[in-house]
Amino acid sequence: MADDPTQTDIAWLARQAGLPDLPPEYYPQLAGAYANVRRMVSRLPRDWPHGAEPAHVFVPTTFLPGKD
Amino acid sequence: MAASDLHFLTVAEASRLIAARKLSPVELTEAHLDRIAALDDQLDSFVTLTADRARAEARAAEAAIAADGPRTRLHGIPYSLKDIYDTAGIRTTAQSKLLADNVPTRDAACQEKLAAAGGVLLGKNATWEFAHGGPSWDVLFPPARNPWNRDYSPAGSSSGSSAAVAAGFAPATFGSDTGGSIRGPAAACGIAGLKPTYGLVSRRGVIPNCFSHDHAGPLAWTAEDVAILMQIIAGHDPEDPGSLDVPVPDFTTALTGDVSGLVIGVPWRWLEEEAPLQPATRAAFDAALGVFRDLGAEIRPVSLPPIQQFEDAKKTIAVVELFTIHGPDLRTRPELFGSSLRYRIIAGGLVRAEEYVWAMRQRTVLARAMQSVMATVDVLMLPTQEPAGKLEPIDPATLFTKPSFTTAFNVGGNPALSLCCGFAENGMPFSLQIVGKLLDDANVLRVGDAYEKATPWRDRRPSLVARATA
Repeated sequence: MADDPTQTDIAWLARQAGLPDLPPEYYPQLAGAYANVRRMVSRLPRDWPHGAEPAHVFVPTTFLPGKD
Repeated sequence: MAASDLHFLTVAEASRLIAARKLSPVELTEAHLDRIAALDDQLDSFVTLTADRARAEARAAEAAIAADGPRTRLHGIPYSLKDIYDTAGIRTTAQSKLLADNVPTRDAACQEKLAAAGGVLLGKNATWEFAHGGPSWDVLFPPARNPWNRDYSPAGSSSGSSAAVAAGFAPATFGSDTGGSIRGPAAACGIAGLKPTYGLVSRRGVIPNCFSHDHAGPLAWTAEDVAILMQIIAGHDPEDPGSLDVPVPDFTTALTGDVSGLVIGVPWRWLEEEAPLQPATRAAFDAALGVFRDLGAEIRPVSLPPIQQFEDAKKTIAVVELFTIHGPDLRTRPELFGSSLRYRIIAGGLVRAEEYVWAMRQRTVLARAMQSVMATVDVLMLPTQEPAGKLEPIDPATLFTKPSFTTAFNVGGNPALSLCCGFAENGMPFSLQIVGKLLDDANVLRVGDAYEKATPWRDRRPSLVARATA
């Protein structure tokens, strides 16, 4: 997508974000925030070993009923 | 003691007087209600006042203490809650038009503990919308102001909580911290605020901001008061999936005043190269380190991963979790969000699942790096932030672009305390952040308490004068 997204571009983004009915007056916010989020995400490392566990591992005992 | 002085009693002082039958909880509560009534129109720190309930709780506390003595150090002492803590039968709005009529049917876990301890609930404090977007003038209530200068910001998001403590409206308040929202306001208002170890205080019933980084914690005038409050609210809660099932230490007996032999790490690269301090802030920080040297501590440089790496991982995770929470309302009634919060969450739906997992993997790496550094020292020290600036709209894009000295410790989950370490030429407070090893909250409070007792900063209070009435 170009640096200056068109209204059509942003409407597509809104649909991708699950916001198909987003009023056009909020398109500038979506475009501005999207540009910032992309810059942030682009700095994340992306070459990970297959077994790299994310920070949120599932601990099943947390969800035992009446654990205490 | 003159009634006019009661509002500036600390929790520790008030609890001693109450235990000695020299102070009435009713009298103490009335002093705070009077001060709020006289002055909070200047600060907007409360969004809901529960005066009748407070008076009833104070009378009940007084009777119980007369019969059996205080059951905790909070018994008969007023406090207030950030308006994201659920309170049964009391409106809980998160400062948002979306929750204007939200009245919970059950108390948050912390409120249950505070009520059981005999505390007196004064009301609910202003926050940034959903503890995230602000300051805002297009949400349910106006933003809180800083008691040291009402033209200045109390920072966010626990803005009303910190302003209320500094102003003498409440000796104890409770906030939340997802990237610095307890420590930043505590710093701006010159008070003490602790982000506990992740999972040490239950978040059940606290409206979420970002599940994986949310912490609930106390704010008060001193580190000693924070320790007293932690004793009441810390502990395992099976209803909070992030809650740690660990023993609760004795936070108050840890306050020995002795820090000789303490090893303090300072992340100088952050402070000198990545986000250089203003000269006055650097001077205040150097002076604080000097106090610790005089108390027998050793200062060492440490090297943490770059600030930006913590920011990128946390904020990628946060924007997704925020969107998950608020997506349904964004789809159906986006106009009810304040502009600041809407900007900060609207693009969360455009982060791919793979990118969210990258960020969580990066959190693992950063948390391990943080704990490796912490293993070489007893605590880290650095400023919490620069002194407060003017209260004015902030470009919401700064959420994504401005580095902070607080977010890294949400990523690591480490306990982090903000204290006052002096005052700038314009009268606004400087701040000192003390970061501990995981579950070493008591040590962090010991270090903070020792600093406060060795310095004069707790003797100065904001000057607020009631407006003349026509």
